Amino acid sequence: MKRFTLFVALAVLAFGFSSLNAEAKLTSGMATGKAEFQSMGPLAFGPDGILFVADTKAAAIVALSTGDTKAAPAGQSLKVEAVNQKIAGLLGTTADQILIEDLAINPISRNAYLAVSRGRGADATPVLIRVKTDGAPEVFSLDNVKFSRAELPDAPADKMVGQGNRQSNPRRESITDIGYLNGRLFIAGLANEEFSSTLRSIAFPFKTVDNGTQVEIYHGAHGQFETRSPIRTFTTFKIGKEDHLLAAYTCTPLVQFPVSDLKPGAKIMGKTIAELGNRNRPLDMIVYQKDGKSYLLMANSSRGVMKITTENIDKAEAIKARVADKQGLTYETIEGWTGVDHLDRYDADHVAVLRRGEDGSLKLEALALP
Amino acid sequence: MFNTKGQRFKGSRLSEQAIFLFALLCSIATLTLCVKSVPAQTTATIKWVKVESGKMAVELTGLDAATLQQLAKWNVLQFQKLLAVYVGQPDANVPPMLGSYRIHNNALRFEPQFALEPGVTYRAVFLPGKLPGGLGNSVVTATFSPPSRDLTPTTVVAQIYPSSNVVPENLLKFYLHFSAPMRRGNVYEYIRLLDESGNPVELPFLEIDEELWNHDLTRLTLFIDPGRIKRGVKPLEEIGPSLESGKRYRLVIDREWRDGNGAPLKESFEKAFTVAPPDRQPPNPADWKLETPNADTRAALTIRFPEPMEHALAQRLIAVTKSTGESIAGSVMLDDQERRWTFIPDAAWQSGRYHVVIQTTIEDLAGNNIGKPFEVDVFKNIQRHLTSQTVKLTFEIR
Repeated sequence: MKRFTLFVALAVLAFGFSSLNAEAKLTSGMATGKAEFQSMGPLAFGPDGILFVADTKAAAIVALSTGDTKAAPAGQSLKVEAVNQKIAGLLGTTADQILIEDLAINPISRNAYLAVSRGRGADATPVLIRVKTDGAPEVFSLDNVKFSRAELPDAPADKMVGQGNRQSNPRRESITDIGYLNGRLFIAGLANEEFSSTLRSIAFPFKTVDNGTQVEIYHGAHGQFETRSPIRTFTTFKIGKEDHLLAAYTCTPLVQFPVSDLKPGAKIMGKTIAELGNRNRPLDMIVYQKDGKSYLLMANSSRGVMKITTENIDKAEAIKARVADKQGLTYETIEGWTGVDHLDRYDADHVAVLRRGEDGSLKLEALALP
Repeated sequence: MFNTKGQRFKGSRLSEQAIFLFALLCSIATLTLCVKSVPAQTTATIKWVKVESGKMAVELTGLDAATLQQLAKWNVLQFQKLLAVYVGQPDANVPPMLGSYRIHNNALRFEPQFALEPGVTYRAVFLPGKLPGGLGNSVVTATFSPPSRDLTPTTVVAQIYPSSNVVPENLLKFYLHFSAPMRRGNVYEYIRLLDESGNPVELPFLEIDEELWNHDLTRLTLFIDPGRIKRGVKPLEEIGPSLESGKRYRLVIDREWRDGNGAPLKESFEKAFTVAPPDRQPPNPADWKLETPNADTRAALTIRFPEPMEHALAQRLIAVTKSTGESIAGSVMLDDQERRWTFIPDAAWQSGRYHVVIQTTIEDLAGNNIGKPFEVDVFKNIQRHLTSQTVKLTFEIR
């Protein structure tokens, strides 16, 4: 019995060490101090409470070690009315003067993190907000945190245009989505000049010399044309044993391609597996399982939230011929889930959504997965 | 500048008439401070003050030494129960605003973390009963409103590119230039594309939350919804292109769009144009005509394009170098409806051979690149990529 107890104790200790080791490895290259941001856009959680924050203005990704690693108790929920008013009050301004850029749920603590812009002008201040289960938003202080930073390769070109004092470089690349998978961070971008499709992949922990991988993704449409187009939102998904990226494009197709194809300089032909139809503006996307089946849940500015079955995704053929609506994977629109701007996985059975009411107030809540 | 109001509730030692008279006096005279007596601190008051940094803060004064000594040990949550600042009218939804508390010159000072916004009313709330040894439920408030911004409209739409009044059916984007920085958020509400009958074209643009602004928010990039341009995708098949060849349109910018100060535009703006057939031909620098200057002058080097080029990229992606590859500094201008590119060197031209170096990612109005059309027909064996990232045109200066 004693020996067994000792064995268990050693096992627990070993597990603790390995977990600590893994955490230490991920944060080993991080500096401690003030993390500076020019802006905050898309958010994504990695392992061990590490939050990736895209700084579009600075063309950089910052990895923050939030230290928020205490597991949420079972049954924890989330419901915050008028979260935009609450955040505005905290920041000493009015609700019409803040913009919520993205939402991410810490998969360990299930606390919600929001990238917020205080102000809507060029002098706006980015603020990271955390909402715990008590529903009271708080500013996540960046004054003394562990963080590392990756400057994006091919950051806005330095060529200035204009004359004299009016010289400026108006090019800017917006980061439309970021996601973490197996030690790599994927970054989808959209420039405000060239219309191109770029997906970068950067190893994490960030290395100073890692320029990342930049690939160009084409996708076949219905007809004979293959096109380039920026990715609006993406998620990762296993098909068989292989990791895939599922990307929703600005021109509506849902495209899949194996992560292993993302090699430096590669030109990838993604497989169009669904056309989500007209007036479709995908905003955010997650994958979940229910009753032994996998689904995609996609927030869509005009169609509400769409639930897309992935049952036959491994068998899905690329759409090549002109087809009727709902070709490829089938989907349904979730009644009543209107005004969803952002969503993220909450727990195995819930999704966190940020919903806009008719009066403009935003509600942050966890809803049962459909 | 200061607008201070006092209110008192049960627990007061003053008579009701005295309270009423006091509150009335405070309101009418807009006193800068409002004093209330409490059991523990009969002289404790709050007021808004301008502090050393030039920012506004709230000070709680009239505290005795023993109270100050105790307050020095308090944490933020304790301070917030005693003195907090709120935005606007009392609302259970609105938490106290962030800031720091410290004892300064025998006063408790609250300094807001963020700058106060013009035109917004800030309400400092002091609960004397929460002082050490304090009793009662009295509430003292002092409000402050920084002066509102001047909302006289001054900002205008300075230019919309392409500046031509004829565009191809597969036009990829517009650039909206403003005379001053604008405000982010819901920008697409202020942009309409109207057809010949004045009816709005349904969802013609790519509306994305990020809003493709330049750094100082003076230029917005407005992509036409690519689903309405690309052949073979559903939006184009079902509702057709945003722009149809042979038809006339107006791009209308609503004057209610707010600039960085929150003021509306001085006037609305309209760009009327007609639509030509789609352009699927990549631009070819071999068709560009160079007009070269003479040596020992700072005269312009000019390139004439057979079609309008995309405004931003034509300015950024064409450079001039010596034959050795060394860059020539100078200024670039694009005019004649983006069909003429002009380069004036900072120093006089010297005799010799030069190159115009063009990045192949330069675009025409339909997003066709050099050597690569916007859409590639997979059934035709078109070279999708040039191996080179640049194309050179060579010229001599004599």
